[in-house]
Amino acid sequence: MLAQAAVPRDVGLFEFLFGSKYWTGADGILASLSDTVVLCATVVAVATAIAVPLGAGLAHLRRGELSVTWIVTLSRAVPTFAIAGLLVPISLRRGWGFEPWPIFIALLLVAVPPIYLTSYTAVKEADANTVDAARAMGLAERNVLFRVELALATSVILAGVRVAAVQVVATEPIRAFLGGDGLGRFVRDGLGQNNDNLLLGGAILVASLAALTGGLFGVIQRVALPTGVRRLFHRQP
Amino acid sequence: MLRMSPATRGVSRSLVALVAVFGLLASACGDDDDTSTDPTDAPATQPTDAPATQPTAAPATEPTASPATEPPNAPMADGPTIRVRGQDFSEAVTIAEVYGQYLAAKGYNVEILTPAGFRTEAIEGITNGDLDLIIDYIGGSLTALAPDAASSGDPEVIVSIIGPEYEKIGATLLDYSPAVDGDAFVVRGDLDATTISDAAGLDLVLGASAACFERPQCFLGYTDPAIYGIEFGDTVTIEFGPLLGEALASGDVDAVIWNSTAPQISKDGFKVLEDDLGLHPAQNIAPIISTSVLEAYGAQLAADLNALSAAITTDDLVAWNVETDVNFRESNEVATEWLMSKGLI
Repeated sequence: MLAQAAVPRDVGLFEFLFGSKYWTGADGILASLSDTVVLCATVVAVATAIAVPLGAGLAHLRRGELSVTWIVTLSRAVPTFAIAGLLVPISLRRGWGFEPWPIFIALLLVAVPPIYLTSYTAVKEADANTVDAARAMGLAERNVLFRVELALATSVILAGVRVAAVQVVATEPIRAFLGGDGLGRFVRDGLGQNNDNLLLGGAILVASLAALTGGLFGVIQRVALPTGVRRLFHRQP
Repeated sequence: MLRMSPATRGVSRSLVALVAVFGLLASACGDDDDTSTDPTDAPATQPTDAPATQPTAAPATEPTASPATEPPNAPMADGPTIRVRGQDFSEAVTIAEVYGQYLAAKGYNVEILTPAGFRTEAIEGITNGDLDLIIDYIGGSLTALAPDAASSGDPEVIVSIIGPEYEKIGATLLDYSPAVDGDAFVVRGDLDATTISDAAGLDLVLGASAACFERPQCFLGYTDPAIYGIEFGDTVTIEFGPLLGEALASGDVDAVIWNSTAPQISKDGFKVLEDDLGLHPAQNIAPIISTSVLEAYGAQLAADLNALSAAITTDDLVAWNVETDVNFRESNEVATEWLMSKGLI
């Protein structure tokens, strides 16, 4: 019994993308898709949990201004594939297997910078008049941060999360080249087996998921606003 | 003259100085990886490595040596350049260097190109005239040129099929070498099995490259009830290379499909299970030369290449891999050393 039925070499592109045979099964498109989505969602969630409090907190306290410049420069130089590749043998030797730690850490490094940057900048640039008014009204500092600065910054922070999510989804396929699976497996198999349609199909699937993620977060960005802020944006021209 | 404030002038001067230094450094740290046609470059740039061999290397490889020391039927100095290119993995790079340096030492016009691509690119190169000499594994050539033909463990059978196929694309297959680098079903040393058939009931987790999973002589053959009929517990796709050894050692997988000359097999205490049903095709190495180049140089070229092929053994391949993959030495040095040790250059 074949545990892993390879996609035949002469498969047509549309046959692969739209035929039900390749969507079902343990190695099918749906299973790989859910693999990818679970990892990416976890990474983005953890990155948000780390970066938003850090960025918002530091910005509120008006500290760590240099960190923004550092992160902008360093984050562009992060070689994700190399980092993940370096961590794989370490993970193997410690008995943790190929996944999930190497790719998780590498993707975290991709996701944290945009979220940190937007959180920091958004809270720092929150409308000064409103913040002053809040303080004048006697709001405790904690409430100034949570109820005023963060509320005003939500839309921008969500934009940062959106950027991070798209980058994570687009980078996640490298996992398939490091002993894992997910949506990148079709690209990997297409390359390794000289199957052009499989390769192209895999690439289309990955790109489509990234585009979909961007669109989804775009909607969230517009919808998931605190009530007062939403009214604010509607009233102003 | 440009009117600049003292500050700007200072900055401009620093920038010019920086660019000049950078340019100097860039040209000095030239191209270490450049595989030039002159094999004397290899020992010359590594003086600490092979000082003793330098004096003997210079006269022997000098293409303008006096006619008296050349064999009577020396190749013509103005023959076509033989462009040889190895596939992009260490063993293939070393093999290409061995053949290239050997021919250059014999007086042929040789250009050893930077290694690139794999079998598909090598065959394409020979077909469209970008390459003149490639060295391939005959079983792999069979899969590439005649995928529907039945494979065999007998090199003669394979050669009889791929010889004509190569002729169709304007290349000549020369004699195959006794050196073999074939598929290996590798397991940890403590597994209770000696042949692949023994692996049947053990519920092993298999790690292999993506290509293996769609190949009849690989995964499809292991799981075919008519051949080995093994039911693996799980399968993992791993990039071909040292990662296979890492995964096997860590216990993440129980068996990997590797190549028989991987130095890590003996180094890490793995063992190769015997292919008792003869599924794996014969994988001797053999040079393939462009027919037009062969005709230009004549029978001497074929004789020289066949002599070299006959001199390479499987143990040599393993030894080269140990040098390049375990001791991290450069392929061109390893090739030069081996050729000299055999008295071939």
